[in-house]
Amino acid sequence: MTDNQLKDALLAKEGYVNYIQRLIVTVSITGWASLCAFGPNTAWGFSYGDQSGRNEACLACHADAREVPRTSFVDHRQFGQTTHARIGCVACHGQVGEGHPDGGQVPRAQCRECHLEVDAEYAKGVHATKTGCNGCHNPHLVQSLKDVSGEEINRICSGCHNALEMTATHGEWLPQSELHLRMLPCITCHTGSRNYFISMYIVKSSNDSRFGKQVVAEYSELEELAGGREIVSLIDTNADNYVSLEELRLFNRTEKSLRLHGMMTPATASHKFEILDSRRNCTFCHTSGPGVMQTSFIAVPEKDGSFRRVPVEKGAVLDALYGTPDFYMMGSTKNQALNGIGLAIICGGLIMPVGHGFVRFLTRKNRKKEQ
Amino acid sequence: MSEKKRIYLQPMPVRIWHWINALGIITLILTGAQIRFPESVTIFQSYKSAIDVHNAAGLTVSVSFSFWFFYYKMVKNTLDKLYIPDEEDLKRGLLRQLLYYCFWYFLGKPSPYHATPEHKFNPMQKSAYLAVMFVLMPLVGLTGILLLNVTPLRVLILLWGGIKVIVALHFLLACSLIAFLCTHVYLATLGNYIRPMLTGWEDVEEHEEQQAEDPATTPAYRPVRHYPEYGKVQE
Repeated sequence: MTDNQLKDALLAKEGYVNYIQRLIVTVSITGWASLCAFGPNTAWGFSYGDQSGRNEACLACHADAREVPRTSFVDHRQFGQTTHARIGCVACHGQVGEGHPDGGQVPRAQCRECHLEVDAEYAKGVHATKTGCNGCHNPHLVQSLKDVSGEEINRICSGCHNALEMTATHGEWLPQSELHLRMLPCITCHTGSRNYFISMYIVKSSNDSRFGKQVVAEYSELEELAGGREIVSLIDTNADNYVSLEELRLFNRTEKSLRLHGMMTPATASHKFEILDSRRNCTFCHTSGPGVMQTSFIAVPEKDGSFRRVPVEKGAVLDALYGTPDFYMMGSTKNQALNGIGLAIICGGLIMPVGHGFVRFLTRKNRKKEQ
Repeated sequence: MSEKKRIYLQPMPVRIWHWINALGIITLILTGAQIRFPESVTIFQSYKSAIDVHNAAGLTVSVSFSFWFFYYKMVKNTLDKLYIPDEEDLKRGLLRQLLYYCFWYFLGKPSPYHATPEHKFNPMQKSAYLAVMFVLMPLVGLTGILLLNVTPLRVLILLWGGIKVIVALHFLLACSLIAFLCTHVYLATLGNYIRPMLTGWEDVEEHEEQQAEDPATTPAYRPVRHYPEYGKVQE
């Protein structure tokens, strides 16, 4: 066999081998794809979720309070709008056994598997030795900070921290502690968050009285008041998704039982809970600063239990008397026009000493002569 | 002919009340300035100290005000007579006193009014104190008490139109009191007012002619005939 013949034979053999390899790979992929697409999705007896909405199989039982124990109940509506719903039940609960529900333990993922940074930060705080993530967060109800009212945030804390005890403890050094604890989410002072904004919630007075007890208004109540229109139209009358000072004035004048309740809220929450000395300095909040007191939103409740954030006109809107009549932060929100009027009044009081005193000085000889 | 006479013008309770008030109001002004303008006024070391002192001074002045009211209304029973201008005051007294301050004082004429224990204030003082003691002080005190108890008195605050209205009112009333304080201190230097408020006693020159005057017709005023200009005003 010549050299050329040998080379041709080797090339032919190599081509044959490549052809076989490509065939095997193609058949394997096609077979796997077919199994995925057409294979039974109840191969284990249950479907436990993926991005295509297979959570429904789990929720068929777990969203029904009559079917499952209270601890296993998942609110379908609230769970549906969480990030956890998007990654699906199986992402955390892995492979549920064939015999489920057989009373056996369902696998549970550790939060740190995804939230490693938060876990590391939390471990440094005072809460780490007291409770884990589930102590504060129900993984089936997790919401981002912007989707939850300050009152709801504090409700989580009050699970362990008795409100009356906390008022008394804070009252040892904090003036008007009850007011502070009602108007601030705990995390505003007890986490090292840096940026803040003023979050305003619509509160409704009981018995439709202006003076009744005020609670965060429910979606259904506001829906009824809106009369078929979007709830936000109660404030944002021109529907431009932006609340102006004029619209706030109109809202405060026309709505008898609705008021706006403001809270200083951190833009991002840290999970390192601590007692920060800087927060004991009142001027941390009670001083005019750029930005912080100028940014505000109105949280409008949505049907799914979350809140829609509507930006409010920046600038002196929080200072204006009719903008937010129930929101006042001493030293921080002060009406500039009032400052001007106050100065004018004081100057008026100085007219007599200055003007009269000047003429008195010029005519001092007259009085000496009379004496 | 005239002779020196001492009259006991300001009793001890009134003097104590006056100086507690003075100290309290000055403290309230200083702390109030820091509370409203913390970025530029730092008289007290911390904001909390300013608030605590402001609250304590506010309560002291409120209690002192109550004692003042109780003393004059219940003990001495002279509140109305001292502080409410009578017909004579409104008809002639006010204008006469105004003319004195604006013209006759500069020409070296003595005051048309002289204080006695029963008539301590001239018509202008009466009018000013009526506004200050019966309107400004009670209102600034009430709004302060509301701001001190925002949670328990929430309904009352809503009744007034919201916390911002209360704050605005408290601030403007305080500014009005500062304005009054400036005038009050200055006018005290025009006559012999400071010593009686310290010792209680005032030395007065008593004119012989004045004794013949019927005090009921010209209460607390020197005889007009000394100063023909006032007589014209009176006619």
